[in-house]
Amino acid sequence: MTTVLILLLLALGAYLVAVIETWTITGRFQLAAPLFAGIALLGRESIVPRKPDRIFFEVAPVLLLISAILAAAVVPLTPDLIITDLATGALFINAALVYVLVALLMAGWGPDGAYAMIGGWRFLGQLIAYAMLIVMPITAVVMRAESLLTTQIVVSQAGVWNIVYQPLGFVLFFIAAMALAFLPPFDLPTAKGELAGGVEAEYTGVRLAVFRLGRLALIITLAAATVIFYLGGWQGPWLPPWAWSAIKILVVTATMLLIGRFMPRIREADLLAWCWIFGIPLALLNIFLVGVLVLVLP
Amino acid sequence: MSAQTFFIGFFGLAAVWFGIVVFRTFSMVRSALALLFSQTALGAMFLSMQAEFLGVLQIMMMATEMSIMAIFMVMFMMDPGGLGEMDMTHQKRLSLSAGIVSFVAAVAVAVFVDWGPVAHTAPDAAQQTVDLGLELLGRSMLIFETAGVTILTAMIAATAVAIQPATWRSKHEH
Repeated sequence: MTTVLILLLLALGAYLVAVIETWTITGRFQLAAPLFAGIALLGRESIVPRKPDRIFFEVAPVLLLISAILAAAVVPLTPDLIITDLATGALFINAALVYVLVALLMAGWGPDGAYAMIGGWRFLGQLIAYAMLIVMPITAVVMRAESLLTTQIVVSQAGVWNIVYQPLGFVLFFIAAMALAFLPPFDLPTAKGELAGGVEAEYTGVRLAVFRLGRLALIITLAAATVIFYLGGWQGPWLPPWAWSAIKILVVTATMLLIGRFMPRIREADLLAWCWIFGIPLALLNIFLVGVLVLVLP
Repeated sequence: MSAQTFFIGFFGLAAVWFGIVVFRTFSMVRSALALLFSQTALGAMFLSMQAEFLGVLQIMMMATEMSIMAIFMVMFMMDPGGLGEMDMTHQKRLSLSAGIVSFVAAVAVAVFVDWGPVAHTAPDAAQQTVDLGLELLGRSMLIFETAGVTILTAMIAATAVAIQPATWRSKHEH
């Protein structure tokens, strides 16, 4: 029952992400637009390009969607509303989301198209940049909670939210999460206007619909992960826990999408250089600071 | 046969099958990702054996490592897409005999080594994570730190030899 409810909420969340994304780009709030866009995609012909790697081409959109759903399985929306409270939850989110890379590589290699392939390999470079900035801030969060259980991580923020306790980690994780969801300004693998859609370029019809759904689910899952790691999860005064979860997740999603609206796309080489020269030392510093705080504060 | 035995066997066979696919395919990317799914199946075997942390870690680490291996295979092989149907095996007789010898050795180790008393119940997953952490920072710390520093040294050395020295660059570029 919980599983079905969370999957429905994930679908609803993905839909709202699509609405918010349109709003951040065009300034218009069209509640029905994603529905019509989805119907239009399903109605269109789904073309298979010449000489594809058929297995990769077919599997990629589904794998993207599955990895987002698997990560969502360990995200608690209320103390009880979670599919499975794994003892390795915080690690599992990362394990599931690494398969986003595998999906995009497949989507890049599968269709036998130049733009798609560049987009796919670009995302591999992007992973080299952001991966440590996902793992290291999570390590600091886990250090404070003294547990990998996602529910325990939320409970550990009862006094002070992690955004206050470890603001450096929050900033790094937030940026890395945007890069993982290939949102602008980190939309290097899709790069509309430059790579003609990149990994999406050769997909049409129902396959493109699944791919886009996977991307939307990925965004909402990462926003939810940000909320449970740094913004106190379901905690908050007056309103019931589920309402706090919903509000926080939607606010984080809107912030992620709005930031990208006002930033130019970052060059691949710059992203790698900045992440390794500034990001990783800062993430290590964050681990050190949190370690000191954990030891000093009661 | 319990469900646990069934799944260990199932994922074990899947791991072996994807290992065979690595050499059956002509495409470098398929080969690399087949190896990934072989390793993922090993991770699933860990999960079936109730070693949750190890399983999740295996599934996570291999995805990045095999994907990075894929791009190196594409860069350095002459037929990355496999349309030229390049043979993935070579030195057939040597590799066949080496494969059989190591298989027999692995089976012999599994059968003849005294593994001590069999644990009938595993500690719960959270306790395993705690135990593993204490083990890594206690008795096994020297081994893991040595391995870690060795790998780090190798990575730095590999990067260092891959970079063209600035003097060479200024001489050859205009």
